[in-house]
Amino acid sequence: MSLVIDVMSGGVRGGTSIMYAALGETVSERAGVINLGTEGSMLVGALSAYAVSVETGSPWLGALAAAVAGGALAGLHAYLVVVRRASQFASGFSMLFLALGLTSLFGAAYVGKQVVGFDQWHVPVLSRIPGVGPVLFQHDPLLYLSYVLVPLLWWMLFRTRIGLLLRTAGERADSLTVHGYSVTTMRVGAVTAGGMLAGLGGAHLSIAYANAWFENMVSGRGFIAVALVIFAVWSPLRVMGGAYLFGMAIALGPALQARGYQWNQFALDAIPFVLTLVVLAVLGRRTLSSSPAELKRVFENAAPS
Amino acid sequence: MTTSTAPAEVVELPTVRRAPGRAARLLPLVLRWVGAVAAALAIFSVLLVVKGADPLDAYAQMWSSTFQRSRSVQEIFVQMTPLVLGALAVAVPARAGLTNVGGEGQIIVGAVAACGTFLAFGDQVSVGVLQLLMVLAGMLAGALWAGLAATLRLVAGVNEAISTLLLNFVALDLLLFLIYQPWRESSTAQPATRELADAAKLPVLTAGSRVHVGIVFALVLVVLVQVALTRTRWGFRISVAGGNAEAARRAGMNVAILVLSALMVGGALAGLAGMIQFSGVEYKLRPGFGNQLGYTAFLACWLARHKPFPIVLTAFVFAALSVSADSLQLDSGVPAASIDVLTALVLIAVLGFTANRKVSRA
Repeated sequence: MSLVIDVMSGGVRGGTSIMYAALGETVSERAGVINLGTEGSMLVGALSAYAVSVETGSPWLGALAAAVAGGALAGLHAYLVVVRRASQFASGFSMLFLALGLTSLFGAAYVGKQVVGFDQWHVPVLSRIPGVGPVLFQHDPLLYLSYVLVPLLWWMLFRTRIGLLLRTAGERADSLTVHGYSVTTMRVGAVTAGGMLAGLGGAHLSIAYANAWFENMVSGRGFIAVALVIFAVWSPLRVMGGAYLFGMAIALGPALQARGYQWNQFALDAIPFVLTLVVLAVLGRRTLSSSPAELKRVFENAAPS
Repeated sequence: MTTSTAPAEVVELPTVRRAPGRAARLLPLVLRWVGAVAAALAIFSVLLVVKGADPLDAYAQMWSSTFQRSRSVQEIFVQMTPLVLGALAVAVPARAGLTNVGGEGQIIVGAVAACGTFLAFGDQVSVGVLQLLMVLAGMLAGALWAGLAATLRLVAGVNEAISTLLLNFVALDLLLFLIYQPWRESSTAQPATRELADAAKLPVLTAGSRVHVGIVFALVLVVLVQVALTRTRWGFRISVAGGNAEAARRAGMNVAILVLSALMVGGALAGLAGMIQFSGVEYKLRPGFGNQLGYTAFLACWLARHKPFPIVLTAFVFAALSVSADSLQLDSGVPAASIDVLTALVLIAVLGFTANRKVSRA
């Protein structure tokens, strides 16, 4: 029984950084731009959060810095692909390399430094509910923030004017122009906002989850987030469930090992990617038909003719 | 400018245009390229100054240690080999209108297959047979890995850019799975497989050098791919299928076979890159194997506009940048990985610059 609780609690904790990044990617892709630099935004976010927390002693300032840094990197991607119309794949990978290099250049000084990260804070009353409490309510504030963020983001995307405009930029950009709105503004805004969320995901990793900084610490979580957005069929609510599911798959190995079972972690690490491929294969054209229309054009035109 | 949302590639005109006054139009082009690279170097200089290194000194050291030491020059050729093959693996599917982001995974499974062949048959067959089997296994594994993505596209309509990207991580986890348990040489040492027998390692070109015959394979394949793409019926057909699948279908071509073959040839090239990297450089599988070779190769191919001959140049540049990183670490005391910043800045400058050219042309 406690194994189940451990795995679920670990899944929520470990899945949160992925969820932040995937929520950001959802916003970006809903506006018609795929950002493979999400991994990069998480990396610069993780380092900025760590460095600012070390220097100021305030994890909240660290999280803020992470959002700014992640947003800045995504903003550069947005400028290149939306304004300069560069290849979205080439630009995304360039962002990844830029982030790898920058964090290695400026991160070396912070390896092994002590940080004041987010404290665990047990929610009164709720955290004492058997089963639910340890899984959902014995974590850090940045994680609780995501509980608020997910419904808020859903509401913004599907119930507000700005959400409608954003989705129109991803579905029928032409009609946005016809009504006098700027597709460029909507997309740059969406991609930048998405990068800020990815930066927060990096912050959760470095100052709430691991409380450490080391080179390339994101190690593929940004790409899990890209997979998750497809897995969740571009819906913030399903992103949340998927993030916990993927997080649990990853948390299962350590939990088993702590109980003396030998388990090869890497078979579990592949689960998010295999699951996403299976979903794609089973739903097939149905998944694609529910993807933002302008995003499909990105894929169809990705290779030069 | 505001309405069309397709990426810039679709408006690309045929690049070979011998209109009069070509030289006159080439000059601003060259100037902008120089400007792009200079801007990248300038920004990187600022970062170096922030980190307390002298940029001019660092560049001078990077240049001299990279191009004036024969060891470094050899290292460039060693490192550009998988990049050339990995970039070809992107170029062939691109001809058919397909985006192969999966070079990374195809390189890894190629190396895994080569290593597995060695572990399974290394003691039973002669060296020549073993090497041949390793080449075949590597290419087959890469082709099947890419074929998986092609099948998903043909059967379920899954876009190959997504599936090849996802398969990269499955391949990486497969590699780690194997070297942490079933293929691990010793449970006490660092996780790695048994080292390839000396006789089965790829021979070097001249005694005492590090350059192995892989570079020859790579350059021969550049020519072969160029010929296959531009001089054969298959090359013509995949470019028709890539340009307009419906037209190809009406002309009686089997588009499914063309899509499958283009991606699988690409995968086979990447698989060969993995096999060569394993038996020419690494000799054993380790956790860091591959190290984003596939993504670098993707960018090298993109920078070469998906054309085989320019790939040689872009792969050389990326390899030289990577070799110069050692000098950055040793002479300037800056982490070697920060060379990624310079690589990315050059790419970003070029990305901004080429896009503008296309918009103004369209």
